[in-house]
Amino acid sequence: MRGTHSVMVQNKRIRYDFDIRRNLTIIQGDSATGKTTLISMIEEYYENGPVSGIELRSDKECVILSGRKWRNDLAVIQDSIVFIDEGNEFIFTDEFSASIRSTDNYYVIVTREGIPSLPYSIEEIYGIRDSGKFGALKQVYNEFYHLYHAGKRQEIKNFGMIIAEDSNSGYQFFQSVVERDIICKSAKGTI
Amino acid sequence: MLNIYYGRMSEAIFNTAVYFKNVYEDSWITDSFSKEMILDVDKSIVLGNGVIDSPVLGKIAPVSLSGGVKTLILMKNEPQKIFNASTCGNNCAKWILKIGEMQDITINLRHLMDFGRSSFDIHILNTDQVVHSMKELVPVAGIFV
Repeated sequence: MRGTHSVMVQNKRIRYDFDIRRNLTIIQGDSATGKTTLISMIEEYYENGPVSGIELRSDKECVILSGRKWRNDLAVIQDSIVFIDEGNEFIFTDEFSASIRSTDNYYVIVTREGIPSLPYSIEEIYGIRDSGKFGALKQVYNEFYHLYHAGKRQEIKNFGMIIAEDSNSGYQFFQSVVERDIICKSAKGTI
Repeated sequence: MLNIYYGRMSEAIFNTAVYFKNVYEDSWITDSFSKEMILDVDKSIVLGNGVIDSPVLGKIAPVSLSGGVKTLILMKNEPQKIFNASTCGNNCAKWILKIGEMQDITINLRHLMDFGRSSFDIHILNTDQVVHSMKELVPVAGIFV
């Protein structure tokens, strides 16, 4: 799966509207912002469809992954947006990180704990915020917002040396790409 | 005293929502301290045994409270057990400190919770150190999470 996918899920009381941009999205933030409610609504829609009273619009199927049978369930999920609520300890296992690398799904994971084995961007860590009432209904409208920013990227000019922290791939990368008149040194892990 | 173990802890109850669903008692919800926490964190009012008025979800059962509040209620009512407090957001931190002032509790944190700018007493079990501010806490706890 590639690109950005929009998801809208709502019932009579609450509406979520958000875009998923990368294969790994993390949801964190304060308690009582509606993280578990979002997951529950997606699960109820998946199990019961429109007769659940929930409306869900997305160009990809939205599914929930949880519990001890996650391996079997994941084996048959393709081209979907997979939501995982907190309380699922399997997300911290090497087996899980290896399993999702061979899939074409996008994953939205609720966790405050870091997952070192998964390569997600800090730009894809979101909180959920209440953006007020939606339309004429007394429906709360929730959206995702960035919790962190990588900062503005700046072009660095007029430098004569690059010091790479490591002596392996990082150092070799810079050594290959820098212009000839710029010196590239390795700190060999000492900085 | 509030005791915190940072990082993975096998004896801690990880899925606090499931545990809460199966052990909570009505008296835990109607307790005045719980009512205050529910109002502050979830912006919800406890109407009576088992019924809570949520501004978003309407009338709900205790199992539909936020994960953070459910964990706070467990900490208060089962202080002998160790709960995964990474189910609590930063808006629960002041309540964790209050519970720790009222009774001895041990919690497990797997992320750096922000306990605010005021001073506090937290015993970090990993290093057996007592810290009094986030400035003291972060360099110690940061090693483990």
